[in-house]
Amino acid sequence: MLHFYDPRKAEPSLNPDMDYGTPPSASETLVSLFIDGTGISVPEGTSVLRAAALAGINIPKLCASDNLEAFGSCRLCAVEIEGRRGYPASCTTPVTEGMAVTTQNGKLAKLRRNIMELYISDHPLDCLTCPANGNCELQDVAGAVGLREVRYGFEGENHLDAEVDDSNPYFSFDPGKCIVCSRCVRACGEVQGTFALTIDGRGFGSRVSAGQNDPFMDSECVSCGACVQACPTSTLMEKSVIEAGQPEHSVVTTCAYCGVGCSFKAEMKGDQLVRMVPYKGGEANHGHSCVKGRFAFGYATHKDRIREPMIRASINAPWEAVSWEEAIAFAAKKLKDTQARYGRESIGGITSSRCTNEETYLVQKLIRAAFGNNNTDTCARVCHSPTGFGLKTTLGESAGTQTFDSVMKADTILVIGANPTDAHPVFASQMRRRLRQGAKLIVIDPRRIDLLKTPHGSEGIHLPLRPGTNVAMVNSLAHVIVTEGLEDKAFIESRCEPKQYSEWREFIAGQRNSPEAMEVVTGVPAGLVRQAARAYGEAGNGAIYYGLGVTEHSQGSTMVMGIANLAMATGNIGREGVGVNPLRGQNNVQGSCDMGSFPHELPGYQHVGDPAVRARFQEVWGVVIDEEPGLRIPNMFDAAIAGSFKAMYLQGEDIAQSDPNTQHVEAALSALDCLIVQDIFLNETTKYAHVLLPGSTFLEKNGTFTNAERRINRVRKVMAPVAGLEDWEVTMALSNALGYPMDYKHPSEIMDEIARLTPTFTGVSYEKLDELGSIQWPCNEEHPDGTPTMHTLDFPISKGRFAVTGYVASEEKTNRRFPLLLTTGRILSQYNVGAQTRRTENSRWHHEDVLEIHPSDAELRGIREGDWLGVSSRVGQTVLRARISDRMLPGVVYTTFHHPGSGANVITTDSSDWATNCPEYKVTAVQVEKVSQPSVWQRHFEQFSKRQHKLLDPAARQAEATDVSALK
Amino acid sequence: MSDQQLQNLIKMINQISMNNLHHGEEHQAAEVVATHIKKFWARSMKQQIINYAESDGLELSPVSRLAVKRLAETQEA
Repeated sequence: MLHFYDPRKAEPSLNPDMDYGTPPSASETLVSLFIDGTGISVPEGTSVLRAAALAGINIPKLCASDNLEAFGSCRLCAVEIEGRRGYPASCTTPVTEGMAVTTQNGKLAKLRRNIMELYISDHPLDCLTCPANGNCELQDVAGAVGLREVRYGFEGENHLDAEVDDSNPYFSFDPGKCIVCSRCVRACGEVQGTFALTIDGRGFGSRVSAGQNDPFMDSECVSCGACVQACPTSTLMEKSVIEAGQPEHSVVTTCAYCGVGCSFKAEMKGDQLVRMVPYKGGEANHGHSCVKGRFAFGYATHKDRIREPMIRASINAPWEAVSWEEAIAFAAKKLKDTQARYGRESIGGITSSRCTNEETYLVQKLIRAAFGNNNTDTCARVCHSPTGFGLKTTLGESAGTQTFDSVMKADTILVIGANPTDAHPVFASQMRRRLRQGAKLIVIDPRRIDLLKTPHGSEGIHLPLRPGTNVAMVNSLAHVIVTEGLEDKAFIESRCEPKQYSEWREFIAGQRNSPEAMEVVTGVPAGLVRQAARAYGEAGNGAIYYGLGVTEHSQGSTMVMGIANLAMATGNIGREGVGVNPLRGQNNVQGSCDMGSFPHELPGYQHVGDPAVRARFQEVWGVVIDEEPGLRIPNMFDAAIAGSFKAMYLQGEDIAQSDPNTQHVEAALSALDCLIVQDIFLNETTKYAHVLLPGSTFLEKNGTFTNAERRINRVRKVMAPVAGLEDWEVTMALSNALGYPMDYKHPSEIMDEIARLTPTFTGVSYEKLDELGSIQWPCNEEHPDGTPTMHTLDFPISKGRFAVTGYVASEEKTNRRFPLLLTTGRILSQYNVGAQTRRTENSRWHHEDVLEIHPSDAELRGIREGDWLGVSSRVGQTVLRARISDRMLPGVVYTTFHHPGSGANVITTDSSDWATNCPEYKVTAVQVEKVSQPSVWQRHFEQFSKRQHKLLDPAARQAEATDVSALK
Repeated sequence: MSDQQLQNLIKMINQISMNNLHHGEEHQAAEVVATHIKKFWARSMKQQIINYAESDGLELSPVSRLAVKRLAETQEA
């Protein structure tokens, strides 16, 4: 007899490519039954359809899918059960002890054929020219039931001429092929949680409708693709498949957008990517996706890709295309000359949170070993560096504590300064699933984020605080926990340092931290704060999720520690359903931090000042490592302007667009003698570069990414790099040219070196990744298969350390000149600086950044929707179009930074977190007024951009060269 | 070194001090600040702030001044 138990771990033989019909049951009680004479034991609550699939018997089905609850509408999965009357649908029938099921006999065959005959009587017979041909469940089932004729004819009333909706740029909706199985409608609700689709009408008139009979594009549809994937016909079909035909092979890889790190099957025709299909075996996404990962991959083959290495003498000179050898030799010579002239510390580099772990590791190794200094930093500086500092200080490890799945056991979900539905959409869908099951939601955010509007979720508590007052808020929450007896004394006593705890307790219990005292600071009524604190403190399982709204403040690190205090005080650490979870912005922010990108830390967060750590690295690397930390990104800029920092190697980060105070960044970049940029496009930073090294996309290389839950996932190459080299190969070539030899044949060898030197990675290898699918670090002798939940028994620093978190107001304050607070964020369809998504149809959803302003602030200034607004801060001015919105409080304005010409970062200041220099993007005092033309910066930007594009164009290059000789 | 660079360093250290004032009396707070700078600041930045404290130091907060003194001592040691 076959035995099956536990959904994921306990059905290890499950094949992610197979559909088992209905979702798994989590019951631990096993039930035994017989299906077509085969004995099988399955968890109580399993459907007969799933039990049969587990036994290797495939009952025909159309409306069932194992990512959706059973629906029982198509009736194709009918079976006979001994002792029961009729033909029950096996998808809606749970197994019972001793049940004897027959899945195939003459009566069932006839019944199924009759059902299919009815379906096909209202379905076109254009199989040969249909885009689903070769991958159509309807066709398969017709074949399986042996349908041979349709006695009803095709002349009767039908839906064959229903109008096609082509409004969505990525998929088409052809209702003429629809069988009204409702899988799309259910996927939109159950999987995605948007509920944009419905079945409109009744009986024969039933049809799938987006919104209230709107075209898909005008409806609430967020284009996640769940409906397209669920469709058993070609009703909902990717346009890329309609164009190219069915793919012929596929490779499992990891998405290169946000920190959720979804697994996808890249479905290919030769080296052409036809579509990305979310992979059910992916532990982060379980077969779900969002509009970016699922559809926005066209940038990889965009005409704007940099296809050849290029060099130039100055940023006003035209680019010259050269061979790889020439470009590398040019770059190496520049770096060596700079060091000879200005000293060892005059150069540095930046690693990328979009590149692989192996590539990031190699860049910091190049800097520490070949440059001979620690001037390495990464874009995490401007997003999650306070997470590293704050969590390491309190919990002993610079990472989130849970798996994403852990949220399914949370009773209260506390979201602080994060907007998951836009920035981490696939995880937001999982959160919403939990909210629909009844978990409570608390949101601390100046804006009313969409998570608060979760359909069928319980009502959330929203604490709309003033930007910059997070610490005051978290202290008030902790004050209530402590003074209302909501602490978990047993946890505190057994798991935390008593000295730090008593210091903290005395501090937090002080009256000045009470919600009543802090109300004047945060602007949130004390009663509401108390209600939220109780909801978190009294929850069985309270889970905290936070984003850049926590870290990107002058007290970002303090806030992270405040969050850890809150979790420790309530014992919400060390099991499923609880924890402290930073939501990482980019695909490999976690990895780039893990890999030693920060100037003070070698891989695995090991301080460069520790002689024992250095000794181990020196032995393997064969060089002396500087014992002093290097410069961080903002320090590099200051040093560049001061003239002591002269050259930089930058891999895959657009600091000229993403970093604050753009004019300051531009001044720093212009001051460099040599800027080497490795990127896939001519981004804003490359316009200041002297060497351009073509980068490769995630589709063009092998490696690993580490997502927000510490999960190391494989990235697999599906096409050749456009310029011939993967990014790690380019870094290697540069190192060799600088005289520090590197010789890796494959990224797996780099990972082997990482494993040798990083105590939390000792068990990681490509072999193990292939075997397990993914690994959550720490993975070592103690945790051979990785660590889904951290700190279960103790902390890496033995006991948890409470930290005193006094509130210090930001220096960025409003006054009469700058009376409003600007805060910045992201939107679903665009990703970060937009270099990738702006080059896809995603721009149809967001083609420009706008300034959201509250109706009362707008009225005061005579502003109407769509007006051009000049936004000025203490450091700069830009112009954006107005959107009137009451999502913010009066006095707060909001924008995104996805388009370079918007100049959102021209206005953000270089005010930063006290501990890590993470910029305070979330608080800028501004004034807003109506204007009639772009700002001075924008006009300059336009001109400069045009000129730089011209310098890249081969024809213009030629013309410029002629001009130059004419001048001589 | 530019004025801007020095101004930023002064702003940074005063901000670190401000966020560590809760560590009991001044000397204790200064010790925490000095340790922070030792752990996270680059060699050149440390030297610049030490030079400033020795030559002028007027814009340093009391805790910052103590911290730089402590830092200078450990650098020499």
